[in-house]
Amino acid sequence: MIRAFIGEMFKTVRRPAVWVCIVVLLAVAVTIGYAIPWLIYSHPPSGSSQGLPPGTSLADFKVTLYPPNFVRLTLQQWSVLGGVFALIVGVLLQGSEYGWATIKTLYIQRSGRLAMLAGKVGALAVVVLVLVLALFAVDAAASTFIALIEGQSLSYPDATTTAKALAAMYLIFGFWSLLGLVLATLFRQSAMAIGLGLAYALVIEALIFGLTASLAPNVVNPIRQWFPLTNATWLANSFGQARIRGFQTATPAPYADPTHDVFVLGVYVLAFAVIAAWQLRRRDVTS
Amino acid sequence: MAAQSVTTRVPGDVTSADAIVQTRGLTKHYGAIVAVDNLNLTVRRGEIYGFLGPNGAGKTTTLRMLLGLIRPTSGTSVVAGAAPGSPESLARIGAIVETPAFYPYMSGYDNLRLLAIYCGVPLKRVGAALDQVELTPRARHKFSTYSMGMKQRLGIAAALIKEPELLILDEPTNGLDPQGMADVRNLIIELGKGDRTVLVSSHLLGEVEQMCTMIGVIQKGKFVAEGTIDELRGAATLTVRADPAETAMRVLSDEVGADSVRVLADGAFSLKVDLKRTAELNRKLVSSGADVTELRASERSLEDVFIELTGAEAGL
Repeated sequence: MIRAFIGEMFKTVRRPAVWVCIVVLLAVAVTIGYAIPWLIYSHPPSGSSQGLPPGTSLADFKVTLYPPNFVRLTLQQWSVLGGVFALIVGVLLQGSEYGWATIKTLYIQRSGRLAMLAGKVGALAVVVLVLVLALFAVDAAASTFIALIEGQSLSYPDATTTAKALAAMYLIFGFWSLLGLVLATLFRQSAMAIGLGLAYALVIEALIFGLTASLAPNVVNPIRQWFPLTNATWLANSFGQARIRGFQTATPAPYADPTHDVFVLGVYVLAFAVIAAWQLRRRDVTS
Repeated sequence: MAAQSVTTRVPGDVTSADAIVQTRGLTKHYGAIVAVDNLNLTVRRGEIYGFLGPNGAGKTTTLRMLLGLIRPTSGTSVVAGAAPGSPESLARIGAIVETPAFYPYMSGYDNLRLLAIYCGVPLKRVGAALDQVELTPRARHKFSTYSMGMKQRLGIAAALIKEPELLILDEPTNGLDPQGMADVRNLIIELGKGDRTVLVSSHLLGEVEQMCTMIGVIQKGKFVAEGTIDELRGAATLTVRADPAETAMRVLSDEVGADSVRVLADGAFSLKVDLKRTAELNRKLVSSGADVTELRASERSLEDVFIELTGAEAGL
């Protein structure tokens, strides 16, 4: 298994697509998360204060970009959108083996199929860790930069909160990456896996519960608490909201118990790993 | 078709110690389609065994089962002393299955380094394997830039990296130009020298004829013949045309036995006989008053045998 892990790392770090995913996510995080909002808050378009509480302007939102809020901003902005990049990495690592037919090359080496899968999951865990650490690092740097420009003091969330947030994001991205891996295993290709993964991330769960929750909340909410995106969002939201002048702090969601969220996401991660292992063990390699 | 009876090695012919590949009743169904049907294949250590059959005969499915890539529907196999696909078996096998598959963004050298890591063999084996297939000058180039011949050679290098006891090569000359085919053929002959066993599948008769010491012919998932090239070709025949025919028939029947004499449609005789007796038979016919107008030795080619066994054109 160690050999399989080292081998997977060997080819993963040499793969440009993996680095492209990481770099694009970081670039998007800085651009969409910090640069564009800061430009808008600094130079608000005319009439942009409409709909805001009296005495409040867009400039008051700059507080969300300062270092005390970078942890919760990173979690809440990227638990789903950033998760899509983790999903793509998961798909790439497994789906390409089918696309290039290298799955047969892998399975006629010395290790067994499960050892090879364990090596791949291990490599994926490392890539996801890099993705999470890099995401928090660039967001911290971006918030620091904005604070310096704005002449704000540099105070950061405490180490415990930061560590918990890193762990939460690692679990959320772990869920996404293993969803990608299991979809690629089931469909034995990348295109279908990415397509379905994106559809689920951006449309399916949000649409189903968005529509039905308003119709029958008492029925839908108890079901919803077992779905992954809901729990990922609740886990991210459990780190609280930024305090903006003139706004009330958001009320926690009814099932936003972080322990429950971690449990549900953990079950999904484990289930995906088991499904992938079961599929790989039983299937013939005919490509 | 198949006029020749199926003669394959029976289990008792080869001891377990001799056999590096042994299957019993190996069968693979895909729904109603029978890809491999009750196959009893035995490959002895040190042989270059040619696994011959037309496209779709079940060669690749059989080889994939021997490597653990495909699970058989029924039957058993022992490959390199262990169950197919087990780490113990795979550690002693090098293989190419159809087109060699590697990571296109890495160089040939890095692809082999990767396999060396997976197999737990020293990295110095990478250079040696590349040298063996004469790919060292292009080893640092990306796999995606390789020609078909180079990819095939990298596949063979990958198969050699473990210094395996058994090489399983599935259509190793596919897609190669004539020079490339000759190079790979010579390489396989070299690799088969000594104790190493090579099991090579092909649908190209010339290739198998030049490389292999033993041949198994498969058709629609079943063995239709097995033997050395000479055994498959069968005994040579002697064609005799003489006049009067009655005299010739009597003399030939007396000399070689009536069962060994066949009258052809054009009145000539076909004899199953040791060709060393040709001159002797000629003398007997002449001394009996027959005028001999044709005396010709004929040998069946492997192509004739293949077409007879499989009903397929050679090399198709």
